[in-house]
Amino acid sequence: MSDAFASLAHALGTAFQENSGEPWPDDVFDRWARRVFAHQFETNAVYAAYVRKRGVTPSTVAHWSEIPWVPASAFKAVPLVSGDSSQVQRVFRTSGTTGAGRRGEHHVLDLDLYKHSLIPNMRRHLYGEGEAPSRPILALTPAPSRVPESSLSFMLGTALDVLSGGEGGFFVTEDGVIDTVGLSEALLEATAHGTPILLAGTAFAFVHWLEWLQERNAGFDLPPGSVIMETGGFKGRSRVLERPEFYASLSESHGVPVEGIVNEYGMTELLSQFYDGTVYDGRGAATPEVTLEARRHVPPPWVRTRVLDPTTLSALPDGEPGLLCHYDLANAGSVMAVLTEDLGVAFDDGFRVLGRAQGAEPRGCSLAMDDLLSGVPS
Amino acid sequence: MRTTFDACRLPSFSSESPTAPPTLVWETIDVSESVAIRYPVWADGAAGRLLEALRGAGARLAEVPVRDLVKWVGRVADRFLDSGDPIRHKAVDLMVPTAGLSKEMATEILIGMARDWTAERLTELLRREFQDPAVLDGFCRLDEGRSVRARGPLLTFHVGAGTVPGVSVTSMIRALLVKSAVLLKPGLGDVVLPVLFAEALAEEAPELSDAISVTYWPGGSSALEDLALQTADAVVAYGGNEAIGSLRTRTPVTTRFIAYHHRLSVGLVGREALTSEVAPHVARTAARAVSMFDQRGCVSPHVIYVEEGGAVDPGEWAALLASAMADLEAELPGGTLTAADASAVHQMRGSAELREASSGSRVRVFRANQSFWTVILEDEMGFTPSCLNRVVSLFPTPDLCRVADALKEVGGYLQTVAVEGAGDRLPMLAEALCRAGATRVTSFENAPWPPPWWHHDGASVFAGLLRWIDLEETG
Repeated sequence: MSDAFASLAHALGTAFQENSGEPWPDDVFDRWARRVFAHQFETNAVYAAYVRKRGVTPSTVAHWSEIPWVPASAFKAVPLVSGDSSQVQRVFRTSGTTGAGRRGEHHVLDLDLYKHSLIPNMRRHLYGEGEAPSRPILALTPAPSRVPESSLSFMLGTALDVLSGGEGGFFVTEDGVIDTVGLSEALLEATAHGTPILLAGTAFAFVHWLEWLQERNAGFDLPPGSVIMETGGFKGRSRVLERPEFYASLSESHGVPVEGIVNEYGMTELLSQFYDGTVYDGRGAATPEVTLEARRHVPPPWVRTRVLDPTTLSALPDGEPGLLCHYDLANAGSVMAVLTEDLGVAFDDGFRVLGRAQGAEPRGCSLAMDDLLSGVPS
Repeated sequence: MRTTFDACRLPSFSSESPTAPPTLVWETIDVSESVAIRYPVWADGAAGRLLEALRGAGARLAEVPVRDLVKWVGRVADRFLDSGDPIRHKAVDLMVPTAGLSKEMATEILIGMARDWTAERLTELLRREFQDPAVLDGFCRLDEGRSVRARGPLLTFHVGAGTVPGVSVTSMIRALLVKSAVLLKPGLGDVVLPVLFAEALAEEAPELSDAISVTYWPGGSSALEDLALQTADAVVAYGGNEAIGSLRTRTPVTTRFIAYHHRLSVGLVGREALTSEVAPHVARTAARAVSMFDQRGCVSPHVIYVEEGGAVDPGEWAALLASAMADLEAELPGGTLTAADASAVHQMRGSAELREASSGSRVRVFRANQSFWTVILEDEMGFTPSCLNRVVSLFPTPDLCRVADALKEVGGYLQTVAVEGAGDRLPMLAEALCRAGATRVTSFENAPWPPPWWHHDGASVFAGLLRWIDLEETG
């Protein structure tokens, strides 16, 4: 790590950890964001040239919202490193489920900064503030040692070590096969001991797990306080189940109320995550039951999310759907401002993800990129 | 206040028809702030009666001479081409919101399409496709010892894509010329022209008014769809691979199935066109080929390969193309994009601009600030499909003849190749392109507008629709 980045990362990590869940006032976020931007402009030649072409430099930015974003797909195009690229500690790669093209790469200079972002956020939303290490984590993902390129496995592995007191395990092989027997035994054991657990995985894996259970007419009655975290449900082309049915099925098969099921919205390109936490909100207090429709994804204090008009890319007022653009200070070592392909709506207490931007009906005749990448007829 | 357009034109159920008009329930979709589309929801009973009426009309249509069909369709084409005819204005005004096009582009497309529906062009089409078009009316003795006749299906079911307005009308006209009754389910972006065409044709030729039915429904969702697939003698389907695949599996094996799946097109500019005199002109025709239909047509180039070693190098030609794209944006402005289409442009542009910003990169990005046109000059040979809506990638190549190799990976999708400046290498190049899968080699100028008799995706115009009957002379 370069000294400049090391001291910035250290300062950010400290600020993340010291935060008690209170949102940062805009001027606090703005000071941090402009400091991060100045660092990225200084140390990331590719991003600096891109920014300069837009007529922007740190001295022209009067507010964080003026910091130029990069599109999420840029992580497929060029390495985005703000610092000494020889010091990159880990390269996380996107799963490439939405096409066989190049995978996105997130070159991470400081895994500790990633941990300092993910741990407090997970603790608040899934574990509960102030509690001792609790809730073994049973993960429907491969173990981080098996898939070092997976940021999700890294995140859950970190949670297992830090938040679950080392208790729990991973129940998917690197080839994507669920260890159904192992997971069943772990769930039965937790039930027998009355230990509330955190069951975490991708929506895709959960759908397969639910099918396996349903074929056997099997289910669990997990101890009260158990939590399910599902992620990735918004990506990809089609979801096998609609969300209400999916949650009802998860709830019924595990004995966890729907309020105990939380969606994590995250992406390899961002080192912070968003939870539509109903178990615990951003302040660490239990949230009253809300309908799925009314749930909001809540950014941690070190992230701001703007909703942009898809055509003009100007900011939209609350309530109007547009493209989600995130400003994530945990991305200090890459690029902080990332424009996604996800449509969402902002509210005063967070945002709601509407799904991947896609047309009302498939377009014929001329070829869209995804169709080509999904397979060429011989 | 939204105008409601009925995406539906049903047969008149004339007194000769034994079936009474069905009672329909309607649904509405808002397609823009100014226009909503209303379409009937088909129950099994109504769907069955519609198809029965169409088959009856198909039987009567078989007795109508082909020259009358040409004449009547031609009259409708003349009305669309007449800038004083109210149908022309109605068509353009509704195409803008339903197809997401600018008014200028909608007009350009309507004129370009309707030109090929005139009696003159249809006569020429029949003349090129048939030794004697009278084979459509009865047996003709065309050679020694044999008479032949060609018959079309009683009823064809057309499923349109909605990408380019007018394509569905062309498809209906082809079926009508071989005397088939038509049921069309247009794509949402192409609902206007088929309905107006069918209405106008019924006015010009009341004899045909019960032989055409146009009705929209969201694909895969209607009782009429399954019944039509079972009832029609031929199915003509345009669309994405998934949609075509689904229709194909639900069509009986004994029914003729003609499919136009995804295709893409490319351009090639050789050294001979890269002189200071010619290059700007080629850039203008290329800009028009890319921008026409806002690049949503199967004939629209996704990428252009530019040969190195000419007086104008690929970088300079990219700048010429960008300038022509900007001019064309003023003449034929781009349309309204869906959130997904707009997002795809931002992603593709932004990624290219980061590659441009990388040290030592020769990638260059030229783009509009207030609209979507984008020219990306790449630095390595390859192929990148466009996100469409006027985004084109340029690949420099040391030798035009090497391009065919780069295209092999997309061969299953390749359609039109616009070639300029190949000089006397053109015959050899055309052979290589045809091996790579291309079905049409043309100029940028002609690329958007293939003639009615083109071998669309490599097939003859009427081959899939016709049944030939040989009457051999007996002693």
